Amino acid sequence: MENDIAWQNELVRRARIYEDIEAGRRFEGTMTALDYAAMAALTFVLVVAFWIWGA
Amino acid sequence: MTDHVASGGIAATDSERAEAGRHRAAAERGDAPLLPSERLWGFWEFTYSNSALAIATWAFLIGGSVGLFVGPKEGIAAIVIGNIVGVVLTALATTCMSGRYGVEQFIALRSQFGYNGSRVVYLLAVVLLTMGWLAVLAMMFGRSIDGLMALSAGEAASPTGGKMIVAAVGAILLTWFIVAKGPTSIKFFNMVVSPALVVLMVVMLYLILSQRSFDELLALPALDPPFEDNTLNFIIAVEVNLAAGFSWWPYIGNLARLTKNERTAFWPNILGIFGAAALGEIVGLLAAVALGDSDPTIWMTRIAGPIIGVVALLFVAFANMTSMANILYTSIVGLRQVGTEPVRRIPWGMILFLFCLIPLGLVVFYPEMYDGFFIFLVWTSALNSALAGIGIVDYFFLRGQKLDMHSLHRPQENGPYRFWAGFNPVGLAALAVGFVVYVTIFNPQTLASLPAFKYLTASIPACLVAGAVHYVLTRLVARRRGWGLYP
Repeated sequence: MENDIAWQNELVRRARIYEDIEAGRRFEGTMTALDYAAMAALTFVLVVAFWIWGA
Repeated sequence: MTDHVASGGIAATDSERAEAGRHRAAAERGDAPLLPSERLWGFWEFTYSNSALAIATWAFLIGGSVGLFVGPKEGIAAIVIGNIVGVVLTALATTCMSGRYGVEQFIALRSQFGYNGSRVVYLLAVVLLTMGWLAVLAMMFGRSIDGLMALSAGEAASPTGGKMIVAAVGAILLTWFIVAKGPTSIKFFNMVVSPALVVLMVVMLYLILSQRSFDELLALPALDPPFEDNTLNFIIAVEVNLAAGFSWWPYIGNLARLTKNERTAFWPNILGIFGAAALGEIVGLLAAVALGDSDPTIWMTRIAGPIIGVVALLFVAFANMTSMANILYTSIVGLRQVGTEPVRRIPWGMILFLFCLIPLGLVVFYPEMYDGFFIFLVWTSALNSALAGIGIVDYFFLRGQKLDMHSLHRPQENGPYRFWAGFNPVGLAALAVGFVVYVTIFNPQTLASLPAFKYLTASIPACLVAGAVHYVLTRLVARRRGWGLYP
């Protein structure tokens, strides 16, 4: 597969699509600061709450 | 003339369609990044798939092991704390980049370890883990069959006897046969087994709670605490669950690449992997402590009586076979992906059989592995926690969440991820340091630990130190040498 010219062209095509998305900042559904904050808060609350309850 | 041109045009369109189909199939296998339009899983589809993976018989085993160290109250706390931390760190390291770029996890890993280094990581993290789990699940199958025969004959079970070994060997060979036939049968089993396991868990929980109140259950003592220090026992239980959380590292990245975007790649892990695994482990923990044995194949016969016991054991045997087929299939697909040309040329059935030889050896010569399986699980965390730390630092802090899809997928010999002869010494050194930090703080084999273990666990320091070493050495060495396309 690696030496197949059509396949190499396909890889370039797919890579270019992602380069275009990246350049135009058109990634959909990216994780935002709010997502990371919610994830950190959820983890913190679960760890602290269950530590106090069970340990 | 017109007809000739038209038929030529149709032929060209057909051949283009066929080629596009081949390319898409190759992208689905991981040879190329999946485009956003090709990815089909939304939030709930990925949550279901994650839950199906997490709700497996190993959840009963891990829950039972937790019951050896601590009672149910501390055990539930350890399950929640260990799993949420392990799953969140693992998901950050693997699913965000897969969800953004649709890239196969071990191809993305070329940016962290080099194209040969990613093969080494695959061998260490996936092959060894899968071989171990295959052996443990086969032995669980064997014990279920042995328990079934004993129950039917009204005799005592012999969990490490000849019948168990024969049944376990049969399970591995049958799994080999199923997987050699292809993935269709595995998909069918998944659709049946996962919902049925949820039903089994609910029935088990009902039976446990019908015998004792929840408060009585919470007050029960641990089955076999290794130390007099309860805090130390609790932290070991947390460590076992951290290991369970980190043990998803080899698998969830490649599932996440099928999701539509980064958020749908990340959040379902909290509901699916964390929620489902924690539920299964809690049922396993409560049953083990209430019925006095950490082995699910024993407590199921005690909790349910002979008739339901036979049904439950038969089902557990069947469910184990499905889990074995899943992990064997996933590992061999990945092995062919990262393997060298001679590995890719080995016929599918033969490579599957060669892979099964070590699990077969473990079943025959080391059946005691089953009772101490958590030791094997915790050993894997020495690697997986360090891999998670390196992955987070590399993708988020060193690359600013940007990967070069063309460089990752082009022929690698002269590409930017060649590093040093295909290995990134920085990433591999960080992995080695993380591993050493882990086993220095906590020895999974002997359970010996440094005083710091009681406050830090072993997985968290290994994850942090591996990430820090990777960050510093990449800045000092890799970037100066122009390795790995670091910005």
